[in-house]
Amino acid sequence: MTTATKSASRKLTTARAMAEATAQEMRIDPRVFVMGEDVGPLGGVFGNTRGLFDEFGAERVRDTPISETAFIGAAVGAASDGMRPIVELMFVDFFGVCMDAIYNLMAKNTYFSGGKVPVPMVLMTSTGGGYSDAGQHSQCLYGTFAHLPGMKVVVPSNAFDAKGLMTAAIRDDNPVVFMYHKALQGMGWLGTEKGATVAVPEEAYTVEIGKAAVTREGQDLTLVSLGAGVHHCLRAAQALEEEGFSAEVIDLRSLVPLDRDTVRESVAKTGRLIVVDEDYHSYGVSGEIIASVAEHPGCRLRAAPKRVAYPDIPIPFAPTMEQWALPNADKIVAAFHQMLTDN
Amino acid sequence: MTTDITVPADLWEGETEGVITAWLVNDGAEVAQGDLVAEVMVEKAQYEIEAPVSGRLSITKEEDEVVSKGTLIATLQA
Repeated sequence: MTTATKSASRKLTTARAMAEATAQEMRIDPRVFVMGEDVGPLGGVFGNTRGLFDEFGAERVRDTPISETAFIGAAVGAASDGMRPIVELMFVDFFGVCMDAIYNLMAKNTYFSGGKVPVPMVLMTSTGGGYSDAGQHSQCLYGTFAHLPGMKVVVPSNAFDAKGLMTAAIRDDNPVVFMYHKALQGMGWLGTEKGATVAVPEEAYTVEIGKAAVTREGQDLTLVSLGAGVHHCLRAAQALEEEGFSAEVIDLRSLVPLDRDTVRESVAKTGRLIVVDEDYHSYGVSGEIIASVAEHPGCRLRAAPKRVAYPDIPIPFAPTMEQWALPNADKIVAAFHQMLTDN
Repeated sequence: MTTDITVPADLWEGETEGVITAWLVNDGAEVAQGDLVAEVMVEKAQYEIEAPVSGRLSITKEEDEVVSKGTLIATLQA
């Protein structure tokens, strides 16, 4: 059972926020159940199913073998038959063994059936690195999933959004991929982003899927990011403020649908755009955001846009090499300085 | 009256040190007896620390600080 303080200033980690949203939906909807590796008595290796097994039991919180194709395929079947499964792909990096179930079944069955067979399921999966877990446990792969039609894709940056987006995802009649960054979970060994542990209402609520948030307002520069990158942007914006520049920070929150309007409105105001993404530099979210701005007839950029993204290399294990490759506030500030110099 | 919040001696087995991974209440906030106030991680397992009494919380050990059993991590002012 996930207990928490009744105090008005109650804060939750993202892990607890995800578990609380799931528990609240399971209490009111008997069709909702959870499947995955170590989601039962252990409570999830990233803490996001903690307490669920004790409250709902082994029938509704099901530990699976290490066979992602089988249990994600089973979830598609259950969803097609009227249930509302939540399945966990422990690390997004493991998608290779189960992509047929995800992409050819989960994402497409609604279309293939002419809308007669909805697939209301949530695929939650962990992303990101920074704690030396090497190249097969540290990727983000946001662009990989957002690229494929037929699924909604959400990426919360804090516990409030995580709870609201999880509730919205469970209630959604479409398949939703819920990508949570490990550094935001409040689990010490993954590196803890303190800004992700925020005040969270106890009652159930939804955050609309497809709406970005303007996390900080500014006039001189638009910083667009998602997940852990939002916190790098906020630190960079703070540093730039001390230099006399005001940066606006946009938290995408959802990649599919993508809230292009909020990004365009901000860039129309600031005229400068830097996209920050822990996913690979090429063919990803950063390129999509820049294209979405540049292709719009109202585009009036004062400087060429820039991206601070992961280099196109396998993620290194060695801490110094991994930290070199990751986005951070210093790189964002440097990109802005370069932008001013280029102009 | 001031009451200490210390890491309970029976929170985990053995004498391994832990780390405060999250304060779930802001410094200076009012909490009720039994409220979950902090999480401590020991070798990748997380443990919960509750408020022993009601009162105003004053944090003395911040997130990421190392703690042992018996370490004073906060006080509560009733």
